[in-house]
Amino acid sequence: MTERTVAVVTAGLSQPSATRLLADRLAAATEAALRDRDVTPRTEVVELRGHAHELTDNLLTGFPAPPLRAAIDTVAGADGLIAVTPVFTASYSGLFKTFFDVLGKDTLVGAPVLIAATAGTARHSLVLDHALRPLFSYLRALVVPTGVFAAAEDWGAGGGATSRALGERIERAAGEFAPLVAAGRAGEPVDPFDNPTPFEDLLPGR
Amino acid sequence: MQFGIFTVGDVTPDPTTGRTPGEAERIKAMVTIALKAEEIGLDVFATGEHHNPPFVPSSPTTMLGYLAARTERLILSTSTTLITTNDPVKIAEDYAMLQHLADGRVDLMMGRGNTGPVYPWFGQDIRNGIPLAIENYALLRRLWDEEVVDWEGKFRTPLQGFTSTPRPLDGVPPFVWHGSIRSPEIAEQAAYYGDGFFHNNIFWPAEHTRRMVELYRRRFAHYGHGSPDQAIVGLGGQVFMRRNSQDAVREFRPYFDNAPVYGHGPSLEDFMTQTPLTVGSPQQVIDRTLGFREYVGDYQRQLFLMDHAGLPLKTVLEQLDLLGEEVVPVLRKEFAARRPAHVPDAPTHASRVAAASAGTNGGATAGPGR
Repeated sequence: MTERTVAVVTAGLSQPSATRLLADRLAAATEAALRDRDVTPRTEVVELRGHAHELTDNLLTGFPAPPLRAAIDTVAGADGLIAVTPVFTASYSGLFKTFFDVLGKDTLVGAPVLIAATAGTARHSLVLDHALRPLFSYLRALVVPTGVFAAAEDWGAGGGATSRALGERIERAAGEFAPLVAAGRAGEPVDPFDNPTPFEDLLPGR
Repeated sequence: MQFGIFTVGDVTPDPTTGRTPGEAERIKAMVTIALKAEEIGLDVFATGEHHNPPFVPSSPTTMLGYLAARTERLILSTSTTLITTNDPVKIAEDYAMLQHLADGRVDLMMGRGNTGPVYPWFGQDIRNGIPLAIENYALLRRLWDEEVVDWEGKFRTPLQGFTSTPRPLDGVPPFVWHGSIRSPEIAEQAAYYGDGFFHNNIFWPAEHTRRMVELYRRRFAHYGHGSPDQAIVGLGGQVFMRRNSQDAVREFRPYFDNAPVYGHGPSLEDFMTQTPLTVGSPQQVIDRTLGFREYVGDYQRQLFLMDHAGLPLKTVLEQLDLLGEEVVPVLRKEFAARRPAHVPDAPTHASRVAAASAGTNGGATAGPGR
């Protein structure tokens, strides 16, 4: 059976955080959808809170400390990414953005991405389409059409129509995401150290 | 193996006193440090080139020319000469002139410069950094190697029947190093010409250094200059020493925490683990520096950064005493003991003149078509 790895990047700060809870539900739904396609899922979660200092250090020094390097490698090596952020001041959180600032602009080219966000109120729901989707479009990722937004009321005490609707959105998003993950990412990036541009091409006419 | 120091030439407040030296004081301090380098038996002094505050060395050959008159043995070099924004014609002229005044005690290190705003001040664009470095250096080589040059390129006014004067001393141009942290194109360029490759090494994980040097060595052999381990490699290092390593850490920490490049970021301890920075006893510096050859192989030049982040001159001179008395003599002996016979020394003017008259390539001077 084929194996596929899904990286989950979550920027929640509290423990437990609604952001992590949403990330886990998306990961579980994705795993189920992959198994339906005879794909063995492997999920690797990156909690950005644990890398907060290293992310700031990376901005200042220009290189990631080893634990952050491992997190970046996890995302770079995965077949798909679930990216979940809390809404802070009308957008993704600074911590979430910093991770993608240091990730490297070619790391997610062609990678399937499922975007999701949490907030206290549904009035922030467009953050998926005005903030997260453009971010991943810039990184040339394949963002699935359904993004999942969960406000406080979606977690609804004792079920009800609202929380059922969240479950349906999660299912729909995972259903769109899983086939892309199952297909795998095309091509390995070219390593410029293994295959340097020959000098003749650096200085044409020589 | 050559040992020396390289300076950025930053004017930085001393974080322990809040005092900022004036430009005149800093420039004179750089001179004092260079003279001290000769006094303690180092081989090389290299100055950076910058065109914006808080840095003072905008005119390296002025400083190096002055040092040439005040020193006897020291090799005068740069770290780096901006091959992107300087006119290659002026570099050819300035460094040939310096070569004559210094009786050949000159080499230089090419670098692109990573300060975006500098490029437009000189009519250039940082996005052309690599093409500028490639084309400008190709012209510089011709100006030094050929008496009369006709030339046309993308970035500079064409030349018709131009002769750069003075001609290089004894017909042998200064040896050139190319410095880059992580641009494979520059390692490729150094390899193509059979020039030296210098990796700053400090401020970055050793992995950057290892990959760049490995690429340079492989391509050096590809272009027919010798075996990979005969390529000419230089490394930077950054140290702060006291006899008792705890004293070194305590004294250096405020300078580290407030340093212009990495300050307010990782802890001193993390940075020492993740980069070649060594703060401790002379023995720790010796051990760490000897460890560099484990990831780059036997190399030819080791330059230390000693005078940045607002360290007072008095402290820097004390550091140089420790470097000259306790560290470099041991490193000379230990590196020499480990180095196989077929690995060459760093080229000097004398060795290059001898190689030229013998019709050989001197280990690392000839490039394709030259």
